[in-house]
Amino acid sequence: MDVKVLAAVAVFASVATAAPVAAHHSFAAEYDAGKPVTIAGVVTKIEWTNPHARFYIDARDDSGAVRSWEFELGSPNSLMRRGWTRNSLKPGDSVSVEGFVARKDPHVANARSVTLSDGKKVFAGSSFDTQTP
Amino acid sequence: MTQPTVADVAKAPIMAFITALLTVTIVVLPLGVSAQWPPYPTPNAPRAASGQPDLEAPALRTADGHPDLTGVWQYVRREGLPARRNGPFGQPLPGTDQFWDIATGMKEPIPFRASAAEVLRQRMADNSKDNPDAHCLPLGVMQLHTHPDPRRIVQTPRLVVMLWEANGSVRQIFTDGRPLPNNDPQPWYLGYSVGRWDGDTLVVETTGFRDDGWLDVFGTPLTSAAKVTERFRRMNFGTLDIEVTVDDPKAYTKPWTVTIRQRIMLDTDLMEFICQENEKSSRYF
Repeated sequence: MDVKVLAAVAVFASVATAAPVAAHHSFAAEYDAGKPVTIAGVVTKIEWTNPHARFYIDARDDSGAVRSWEFELGSPNSLMRRGWTRNSLKPGDSVSVEGFVARKDPHVANARSVTLSDGKKVFAGSSFDTQTP
Repeated sequence: MTQPTVADVAKAPIMAFITALLTVTIVVLPLGVSAQWPPYPTPNAPRAASGQPDLEAPALRTADGHPDLTGVWQYVRREGLPARRNGPFGQPLPGTDQFWDIATGMKEPIPFRASAAEVLRQRMADNSKDNPDAHCLPLGVMQLHTHPDPRRIVQTPRLVVMLWEANGSVRQIFTDGRPLPNNDPQPWYLGYSVGRWDGDTLVVETTGFRDDGWLDVFGTPLTSAAKVTERFRRMNFGTLDIEVTVDDPKAYTKPWTVTIRQRIMLDTDLMEFICQENEKSSRYF
């Protein structure tokens, strides 16, 4: 985990100064803002690719079974302009992710923030934050 | 013409969306740094002794005396302006921006013909799933002007080139005196553009659009009948205003105009963006 870089971008909200980030598609076309979710697990794969970076985690559901989740981030370019790098998340990292579930797949979600193993919470370039209303 | 409202298309999701917006508090500070490569200073930028750029300084000029539009530019969100549409109970929604709703901040409603209003209503009802951007297709000139990703203008005496990071789009604006084509050319997403100088304003006229254009993410339409006139004015070193007039008799009862503002981005460059690299979102539309 590149803690230095991620720590640089980690802030907890007190002022609303979010800059626009890339918005490849309409949030509402894919995700349900009425279904927020928080999932904790271990990163298994990162796709540092356009138009959206993605990462996958293994997380235990209520029955104890391990399920794979797919999370969409912003574009690599928008994340890099915020200090992320392609090495900011690595397989094996323990994270907690807040996001919104996809309309058509209960284990796909749009990540809004990622809490790293050291407790830092980083912005995920979510299209949720760029789309009002 | 009564415009479609959010209430017409998506009551419950919008209410949930607003609730979430009000209750979730995390935001971030934009750092303005790039982990892509070391920042390289923009040449010729007027700066104070401290190195701070003077964004209020006069616009730079080219050797032929015209304002120089060259530079990397970022769309300025029009925060705080009223959204065009009200919520399901008639309440005003948080201000949006022109990327999502090109009518943001307009004093008069867009003069839709009934057919165009229906196109917009249907596109909104579909959550904009067919917006070209969502399928890695070119966005069109208006969305490219308002897209949050940066763009670079390269101005030469006979040609102005616009490079957009969004979708890797490229546009040629011919300033060599040629007229607009009159031989029924193949329609293009960005149309065919010619420009001329009117004092310190670059006036660009564009025709030859496809018939299925999207002026914003909501889906305000643009048709093949359109002539779009843009007036580029570099107000000072740091500010570019683009006044865009849409004259599209197939979609609107009269021409209408919006102004888009961009600000200079210094000491940075465009990054590669290849949308088709790993497009997976449309699986879930």
